[in-house]
Amino acid sequence: METVAINNFIHSSKTMPQSKKIKKVEDSILFSLSKEEPGSFEKLVDQYGNLIWSIARRYLSNQTEAEDAVQEVFIAIWKSAGRFDPAKASEVTFISMIARRRLIDHVRKIYRHKKLEPIDDCFNDDALETKSMLEESGDVKIISEAINQFEKEDKELLSLSIYQGYSHTEIAKLMNIPLGTVKTKIRRNLIKLREIYDQDQHSIVNISHE
Amino acid sequence: MSNTEEKLLLDLLVMQSTQAMSDEESRELERLLKLYPEYQNYEFDQIASLTHMSYHLNDRLSNEALPLDLKNKILNSHKKVDLVILFRTKMNDFMRSLFYKPTYAWAVTVLLTIGLSFSMIEFKNYENNFRYLPLKRVVLQSTSNDLVEYPWYSKTSDFALTKGDIVWSNESQKGFIKISGMPVNDPSKNQYQIWIIDPIKYKQPVDGGVFNITDAGRDIIIPINPKLPISNAKGFAITIEQPGGVVVSSQELILTAPEIRPRNTFTL
Repeated sequence: METVAINNFIHSSKTMPQSKKIKKVEDSILFSLSKEEPGSFEKLVDQYGNLIWSIARRYLSNQTEAEDAVQEVFIAIWKSAGRFDPAKASEVTFISMIARRRLIDHVRKIYRHKKLEPIDDCFNDDALETKSMLEESGDVKIISEAINQFEKEDKELLSLSIYQGYSHTEIAKLMNIPLGTVKTKIRRNLIKLREIYDQDQHSIVNISHE
Repeated sequence: MSNTEEKLLLDLLVMQSTQAMSDEESRELERLLKLYPEYQNYEFDQIASLTHMSYHLNDRLSNEALPLDLKNKILNSHKKVDLVILFRTKMNDFMRSLFYKPTYAWAVTVLLTIGLSFSMIEFKNYENNFRYLPLKRVVLQSTSNDLVEYPWYSKTSDFALTKGDIVWSNESQKGFIKISGMPVNDPSKNQYQIWIIDPIKYKQPVDGGVFNITDAGRDIIIPINPKLPISNAKGFAITIEQPGGVVVSSQELILTAPEIRPRNTFTL
């Protein structure tokens, strides 16, 4: 059963379709940034600062570490802006991919984990803008709908692993389930999400070709 | 293809996109990726990011905003970069406008050629041009690891007002004399000659070149030109010799620059 899922996964990852939702790369902040247009970095911080900060807070409990990491993330985005290709991922996905990768790397370096500590000034109405930006993202909506169909335990596992940044070992202890089960469930669910996402992209391409 | 290994690879790929991995896990992932090239590094990054954003969107408690002081810090540090970019852009625009008209382009080319020619002449004369001696002395002082620096001592009262020092590097085989208050010589009758004392390698002091004093009042810098390779200079001396200098001197030492001040010498 799982072999079939693995094969499907490989097949879907090799035939990643191009979405018709692709915007022109010239319209993106990352394009302006790669062309070193004045003010583009300010736009990037304005638009994605809250999202990056929120991701950092999931991985790093210490405020100073989170601040250092966020600065590193912005530098990484600035350096990678030229590699952005809207045919492969939306701008917000590209940015959150870089942010997550950097933060995971940061955690690997400091090699200790977090319990979310409250920071005085971390709640702000501006953060709602980030959410409205995500609401507009069709890709995020597809994934949200798919996750809603999952069993309660599967949702929780994904949340702990991907959203809250707990390691598989920590999750096994927290939920009192075997490590192997944690790994298998997270792997299966991510593969499932990937398939749903790819199917959706395929159908969009098919509609646009009709 | 082993199903167990493939599952392990998938687990590691998931871990790569969700948590910090140990060095051992990273190495194992690298090994398995080579075995299964149909999989890509960071295979799950995109779906993990979309999942993260989905949870973030639905998390009512998560309204975190980038702290204002951190935002300002990030923007301020980038402003310096922006200034450099702005300067570069303006320069590019300027150069483009300059080369837009052929007349301007030719004028700039001619000016650059003249400038380049002058630079080449200066560069060619660098070794021989006395104007660069103070600079060369400073360069030697700041770049040599084995630099020795000794003051001059006078052996006779006639040179008691002479002051200065010597810098030397065995490694680069270079050195400079700085001296002032030395009597003017008549080059047709005699010249000052520099000697390098290297007792381990040579029984006799080694000829370090000759020089003239034309103005007793000001500091002059003279390069030392050893006629033989020096292994370990223990001291320096100056004599007055016939024009052109001699191979072995029989004259009295007028100035010496050894490691330790010798007895019965004058210094200011």
